[in-house]
This record gives sequence, C-alpha cells and structure tokens, in this order.
Amino acid sequence: MDFSLPESAQAVQRGIAGICSRYGMDYWERCETEKRWPEEVWAELAKGGWLGLAVPEEYGGAGQGLLELAVATETLSASGSAGGSAFTYVLTPGFGAMTLARHGTAAQKAELLPKLATGEIETCFALTEPDAGSNSLAISTFARQDGGEFVVNGQKIWITGVQRATWMLLVTRTIPAAEARPRANGMTVFLVNVPEAVAAGQLSYRPISKMGANTTPSNMVFIDELRVPAENVVGELHGGAVVLWDILNPERILLGASALGGAEVALRVGVNYAKEREVFGRPIGSNQAIAFPLAQVKAKIELARLMLYKAAWAFDNRLPCGTEANIAKLTASQAAWEAADAAFQTHGGMAYSLEYPVARLLTDARIGKIAPVTEELLLNYLATQVLGLPRSF
Amino acid sequence: MNIVVCVKQVPDTATERKLRSDDKTLDRDAADGVINELCEYAVEEALKIKEAHGGEVTVLTMGPSKATDTIRKALAMGADKAVHLVDDALHGSDALSTSYALAQTLKKIGFDLVILGSESTDARTGVLAAMLAERLGTPQLTLARKVDIDGSAVTIERVTDYGYDKVEASLPAVVSVVEKINEPRYPSFKGIMAAKKKPVETLGIADAEIAADQVGLASAWSEVVEFAAAPPRAAGTVVKDEGDGGAKAAEFLASKKFI
Ligand SMILES: Cc1cc2nc3c(=O)[nH]c(=O)nc-3n(C[C@H](O)[C@H](O)[C@H](O)COP(=O)(O)OP(=O)(O)OC[C@H]3O[C@@H](n4cnc5c(N)ncnc54)[C@H](O)[C@@H]3O)c2cc1C
Ligand SMILES: Cc1cc2nc3c(=O)[nH]c(=O)nc-3n(C[C@H](O)[C@H](O)[C@H](O)COP(=O)(O)OP(=O)(O)OC[C@H]3O[C@@H](n4cnc5c(N)ncnc54)[C@H](O)[C@@H]3O)c2cc1C
Repeated sequence: MDFSLPESAQAVQRGIAGICSRYGMDYWERCETEKRWPEEVWAELAKGGWLGLAVPEEYGGAGQGLLELAVATETLSASGSAGGSAFTYVLTPGFGAMTLARHGTAAQKAELLPKLATGEIETCFALTEPDAGSNSLAISTFARQDGGEFVVNGQKIWITGVQRATWMLLVTRTIPAAEARPRANGMTVFLVNVPEAVAAGQLSYRPISKMGANTTPSNMVFIDELRVPAENVVGELHGGAVVLWDILNPERILLGASALGGAEVALRVGVNYAKEREVFGRPIGSNQAIAFPLAQVKAKIELARLMLYKAAWAFDNRLPCGTEANIAKLTASQAAWEAADAAFQTHGGMAYSLEYPVARLLTDARIGKIAPVTEELLLNYLATQVLGLPRSF
Repeated sequence: MNIVVCVKQVPDTATERKLRSDDKTLDRDAADGVINELCEYAVEEALKIKEAHGGEVTVLTMGPSKATDTIRKALAMGADKAVHLVDDALHGSDALSTSYALAQTLKKIGFDLVILGSESTDARTGVLAAMLAERLGTPQLTLARKVDIDGSAVTIERVTDYGYDKVEASLPAVVSVVEKINEPRYPSFKGIMAAKKKPVETLGIADAEIAADQVGLASAWSEVVEFAAAPPRAAGTVVKDEGDGGAKAAEFLASKKFI
C-alpha cells in the first residue's frame, strides 16, 4: 500500500500554497468583514490553471480529478482562509466543472468546460428548498415539459454564489415526490442561464444575512415560469439522482477538505498562542488541560485526512464512495469544530476579541456540522445504510 | 536569444538563520532553502524577454544538492532548462570565487544575456553582477527597473537615489534587476508538472573548468573571524511631553546627530 500523494496532488499543494503565501489571514479576515469575493486570489487561481484542475485536457483543463481538487481546497483553507475559500473554490471547479465533465452532453462540454477551466464563467448549485433540506428527495420545484422546453416553478433557499454564476445547476422534480417509484426517480437536473433568466423575469434572488462565510453570498431563489430548453438537461430526464449523487459526494469531500484546512489553521493558531502566552510564570501549553485537547485535534485531523483522500481516490476510480465520503465529511467537520473550540479555550478572554482570528475560525467551523449535509444525516446514513439499523424516518 | 538567469537558493527569511560553529559559514541544512526573492524577478524578466523576442531561458545555480528545489521552482515558472553547479569544493566560497565559478560555467554554456537579482537575502553583498560582467568582459547594467531589448542592443532604466539613468549597451551583457521591474508569476499547475521533466544538467568544478584552488573556504579573500548574536535591544529613552516635548525630541535627535 502506498500512502504518498501522487505527484499531481503534490504539485497542487505546492502551487496553491505558493499563491496563498502572499495572502495571509489578514487578507481573508478583510474579505470576510467587507463581505467581498477574494478577487485577487481568484484571479491568480484562474491564471495558474487551478480552476480547471478537474476539466479534461481536451477542454483546456489539467485533466485531474477530485483528489487534486480536494487537496487544492484543503491547501487554500489551511493557508488562513478557513471557511472563507470553501464556496469560492467549490462552486465552479467542483459543482460546475466536475459535474459537466462526467455527466454533460457533448455540446454542453464543448461550450462550457473551456470557459469553466479558465474561470471565464462560474456556476452555482440549487437543491435545497424551504421545505426540503435534509430530505432532498422531497423537493417540490417542478419542471413540466412543453414541446422542446421545460417550464419550471418553485423556490430554493441557501443557494450560494448566484450573483456571480452564469449557469445554475438546478435540481427539479419532473415526477412529483409522492408519485415517484422509487422515490429517487423523477428528479431532473437542468443547466439554467442565470443572467438570461433574471433578465426575462423568470428567476430572482435575495441574499440571506448570515453569520459567516460572507465572501460568497447565499440566497433565496424564486423561480417563476422559467423556460429551459430540453438540451439543457444534465444526465437523463427523470434520472437526475445519478447526477445528484455525483454532485453530493464530491461536495461532501470538498467541503470536508475545507473543514480539514480550517482545522489546521485553528490548531496552528491555538498551538502558537499556547506556546507564547505565559500565566503563573509558564507557557499555558505546559498545562496538559490545554495541551491535550490540541493533541487530540492533531490525531483527529490526521485520521480525517486519510479518509478524505481515500474517498476522493474512490470517486476518481469510479468505485462506490458514499460511505467514505460521509465518514470523511463527518470526521473532518468534527475535527474543525474541535480545533476551533480548543483554540478558543486556549485564547482565554482574547478568543472573544475580534482582534484575534479565533472567533471567525469558530464561526467558520460551525457551518461544517450543518452544510452541505447535517451531522445527524451523516450518522443516519452510517446507521441505516452501513450498519443496517432500522430507519427512524 | 540565449538567456541565462543566475538563481540562488537562500535560507527562508521567515525561519531562524544560523552560522555553523565549526567553519563559521552559513548553516544551509538548518533552514529551509527557498529561491532568493529577487531571483524570481530575474526569472520573470527572462521569461518576458523570451516571450517577446523568442529564445531559451536557462537557470544557473551554484549551491548544494538541495538547491534542486529552487531550480525546479524556476523551471515551474517557465524556464526551459537548468545547470546546477554543485561540488563540495565550492563550500565556503566568497563573492570573488562565486563570481569566478559562475563565470567559468557561463563561458562553458554560452549566453547572450545574463540576468541576476541585484542582491541576495542571505549574504547581501550585491556585487555579483558587477564581478560577473568584469570576469566575462561584457557590459554590466545593474539595478534595472526596466529592460528593453532591440536587436543586439539592451537598454535599462537604472534606479538611482534621485530617479533613474538610462543605460544602453550591446549584447552579450549582464543585467541585474530590482523588485520594481515586474510582478513574478506564480507557477501554474502545468508549469509545476512540466518542471519535473525539464533537463537539469549537473556540473562539478572539473566539468566547468573551475580551478579547485580558486574556490572554497580556504581561498576566500574575506574571513569570518568571530560572530555573535545581536544584543537585545536596550530600553529606549522616553520623552515626557510637558509642553516642551517637541524641543526635547529635537534635542535628542540632535544629540544622536540625526538632525
Ligand atoms: C452557508 C450555507 C450555504 C449553503 N449553500 C447551499 C447551496 O449552495 N446549495 C444548496 O442547495 N444548499 C445550500 N445550503 C443548504 C444546506 O445544504 C442545508 O441547510 C442542509 O442540507 C440542511 O438542511 P435544512 O437547513 O433544511 O435543515 P433541516 O433538514 O430542516 O434540519 C434541521 C435539523 O433537524 C435534523 N434532522 C432532520 N431530519 C432528521 C432525522 N431524520 N434524524 C435526525 N435529525 C434530523 C437535522 O440534522 C438538523 O439538525 C447551504 C446552507 C448554508 C448554511
Ligand atoms: C552571512 C553571510 C555573510 C557573508 N559575507 C561575505 C563577505 O563579506 N564577503 C564575501 O566575499 N562573501 C561573503 N559571504 C559569502 C557569500 O555567500 C558569497 O560570496 C555569495 O556567493 C556572494 O553572493 P551574494 O549572495 O552576496 O550575491 P549578491 O550579489 O547579493 O547576489 C545577487 C545575485 O547574484 C546571483 N547569485 C548569487 N549567488 C549565486 C549562486 N550561488 N548561484 C547562482 N546565482 C547566484 C543571484 O542572481 C543573486 O540574486 C557571506 C555569506 C553569508 C551567508
């Protein structure tokens, strides 16, 4: 067994770290407070070909896979952005490029992949609805066929990055949930041109005021008689669940990778403070009550990383990866939260001061236990799908 | 055009840098080696010239075997190939012998234009470009904030205390650059992957016809006799403002001959 990262992933680590070395924690802190997209880093990522990592070479990308994307996401977050870069990076190189590379039609790939590879266009992903979050198969946004077009009506919530997106991957029902047998049948994924839909008055959105991750706004989305040509279906009509799983598993792995990077930052910040801060005439880190939680976090980070890379490797090799992706997401998010909490406790009162980065790290880490899938749902999966325990719902 | 960029590996300024107690040279194993910052600007300028005028960019590095990391970085930025001068006999070389060793190597590999950083972050002598030009018998155009090539003429804007001088010479020539000259690119994914396959020729002193008795610690013209850690900073003088703060501050500055 060989645990060393392939050269391609090492190149990603080195290249992304090189860019990030000129943009420290302060930079990401500023982006967060100013609620602004990290334009400078984005431009460098585009220039270096880092947005097209998972785009096949024939479409102008680097021809790599989810492992390289995960390492890129982790390295970005570990450089100091923590959660600040998560959606920045995942929306287009992940949701858009990876999904189309695997499930797009020849025409969709030829038109969109080269532009996604360079960052010329961006994407967002719309699944969650006010009445369907954890139970995503219960969505009610409905697309009815009308000749060569579909007409969509419904409402979405928490859709991140709509403002910058040219294309939205919109998940709909083409058979209502109540009639679908099995329940996962009758889902259809569409590519929706956001600026055109907005201009036609068929789509509108409103940002949600949120507690963190403000580099990328999240929105309520209203869809009203939206007309989408049939050639914009991604994957099969009614067979969207297949596409959906190839979005959701990578999403878990990538946001897990971001959590892992965030855990690394929090640990670094906590350890540095524990070495420097002296109370009772000695560094606080010499107290095991402070040292052990940090040491625990280190162990959990390393464990989560192994599962994360394994999950990405399984996905890239087209092996089943649901269990691995879910375990990776669960453990990485827990590591991030515990790292932030340990760093917080280590900082004493200063943790509460916004002069220190710990409060932001804690806020960033909290989201990992909810989005893109809650901890409970991950545990449900393990309990029912893996352990065969009876369902509670 | 055949452009050679001299690239030095230096200890990371962000880590603690030490001298060795045995021979009083820099402890290169103790710190992470990184590319000297100004050398990145030199590489960037070489790449820009190549992009505008065609040709080939070769990286030349004298340094221990771990300097290959730095060479790969320059190759990842886009240089075509590299020459790595590595030999135990070079350890402890001073500026004179470094310039001799680099000049011998340059004569062997050939060049139209040699580009250097204007200074390293470790030794900071800032003399190599001048010494190299002298040894190679070419014009030296140092401290360039702008470089233009026109046929066989090279023109630079040389930074001075009062502005800049326009300096023109004919190729072949040696140029050193300052950080105002450009914004070095980050290596791209393709660049990093391609760098692994680019040729790096390793030369010893015999290969470059470098005389062993003109390099290394023993033949250095300068000698480090003693070194000590910088003393901790003494507490400063506090001037309390009781209406005469300005005068007192001026008095203090005058006593130190600052004004
Ligand atoms: C910052 C942010 C960005 C987001 N970006 C996007 C995006 O770009 N696109 C998108 O489609 N969505 C996005 N989301 C939505 C996100 O995926 C959902 O919030 C998430 O899946 C949870 O759904 P919910 O909010 O409806 O919670 P609910 O499903 O209402 O859950 C509420 C609570 O009940 C628990 N619960 C529910 N059922 C069970 C059960 N059977 N057993 C035990 N516990 C249960 C949950 O675990 C949770 O704790 C984003 C969310 C956030 C916060
Ligand atoms: C702390 C310290 C003090 C020293 N003091 C002295 C001293 O007082 N006198 C003395 O003669 N030597 C001294 N040395 C030795 C010094 O390292 C060598 O003389 C060195 O090769 C001179 O280069 P520099 O880095 O000062 O060159 P600079 O002239 O500052 O460097 C300019 C450019 O020259 C090129 N260059 C420099 N070195 C190399 C290389 N090895 N390979 C390829 N390109 C290179 C790079 O393009 C670089 O940007 C000292 C070394 C150290 C570490």
